[in-house]
Amino acid sequence: MKSFRISTLSSVVLLAFAFGTNNAHAVGVAAGTSIDNTATVDFTVGTVTSTATSNTTQVVVAEILDVSVTPPTGQTPVAPGTTGHVLRFRVDNLGNGAEAFLLVANNAVTGDNFDPVAASPAIYLDTGGLPATAGVFDASDVPYIPGSNDPNLVADGFVYVYLVNNIPNTVTDGNTGRATLTASARTGTGPQGTVFAGQGTGSTDAVVGTTTASDVDQGEYLVQGVTVTAAKSQVVLDQFGGARPLPGARITYTIVVNAVGTGTASTSIFADDIPAGTAYVAGTLTLNSAPLTDGADVDAGTYETTPTPRVRVQLGDLKQASGTQTIQFAVLIQ
Amino acid sequence: MIQGTRKIFAAATLLACGLVSQVHAQGAPADKGCILLKSTAEVAKEVVDAKGVKSVQMVTAEKVVPGVEVTWTVSANNICKVPSEKVTINNAVPVHMTYVAGSATGAGSDITFSLDGKTFAAPAQLTVVENGATRPAHADEYKHIRWVFKDSLAPGATAVARFRAVLN
Repeated sequence: MKSFRISTLSSVVLLAFAFGTNNAHAVGVAAGTSIDNTATVDFTVGTVTSTATSNTTQVVVAEILDVSVTPPTGQTPVAPGTTGHVLRFRVDNLGNGAEAFLLVANNAVTGDNFDPVAASPAIYLDTGGLPATAGVFDASDVPYIPGSNDPNLVADGFVYVYLVNNIPNTVTDGNTGRATLTASARTGTGPQGTVFAGQGTGSTDAVVGTTTASDVDQGEYLVQGVTVTAAKSQVVLDQFGGARPLPGARITYTIVVNAVGTGTASTSIFADDIPAGTAYVAGTLTLNSAPLTDGADVDAGTYETTPTPRVRVQLGDLKQASGTQTIQFAVLIQ
Repeated sequence: MIQGTRKIFAAATLLACGLVSQVHAQGAPADKGCILLKSTAEVAKEVVDAKGVKSVQMVTAEKVVPGVEVTWTVSANNICKVPSEKVTINNAVPVHMTYVAGSATGAGSDITFSLDGKTFAAPAQLTVVENGATRPAHADEYKHIRWVFKDSLAPGATAVARFRAVLN
């Protein structure tokens, strides 16, 4: 008996990216601002009232180094063996002066089932890191090259950063794979209060804030796999009412197709060759007990003779929730 | 009444004591220049000595990050041989900074605040109209501080006013 085959295109459903909300805001007066203060005193000596003025104190605002990384919302569904899956992060400059940030991606994160495989390039800056980034991964996005186009963000500014990864084909339905993005202030990082003398905006000092001037967050891929199985059985009915496979006997084949998993088998097609030594009985092709026409037309089934005789049934996008699909057709033993 | 002002300029320095560019001789016209006014801006700094013992020192504020408290100390020194009366120190809350509630002190003075630089009153009398309703002003809305020293300032004596503000 010839084996049947089922061909499917695995589908990938991309969730619409929720617009990432960021609750933190940049702190403070712009670095380099000079704050002068002078006191006055009024006083009376005898009958004369006068005013005196103090020296002017000057305080210069130092630069705070602070950053936050916001991860993608929820999990990103992927199919095994597929490529080019994007995780969108947002990097915010929470300090009070313009600052450039070093970006590093890491796929060897613990706690998941597989390591996403970095595409090449692996990191993109939304619209090249320019202001008014749209937050959608498209042709305007520029590959990130560390040290060459580190995003330079103004105080309270942000940029969307995309990590692009491929999924191994050895993963199975329900597996998760994590990748992190770390952003660090180029002026320096360290415990809160670390001072980089003279390296702040306007030649003031740069001081590390509460975030240690570095932040990391992770995105997660979720494998939505689907396995399609087909179980085939047959019933033989000869012309004498028995079940002997004599010439002239009729074999009725029943194939039950089932999809298991959380994914979708897109555009599934069942095809089965008519076994050698038999001939297809016209008009016997059914799907879920509904008759299908043999000719190529709008319904799901056809009987084809080239390159070899076979029946073919289109099953559409199969999910586990679609339930079993039962195909039947009959042949006569020649 | 002759009213005149003579500005006494003192350069800002790293040390707590200021330089004096003009010194008035005793017996000079007593209506001018009898008060030498100095102002310092300082921040608290944690210091660890050689034995690892931590303490807090006040050091001159130079480069300050947002969120840090700065302490201003204004001292009025009577450098004449006669007392000064009605000594009143005025200091605006510095721009980009927020007054720390309750931080204004000055021994022997009545302290009042102003939102507009014209009307000065005690906190309980300062109000703001917001959305048509009148409410007490918050300390972080004060823009000016005034210390009125009740007693006369004797020759050689110093009246001290102090307050704190946080850098926005």
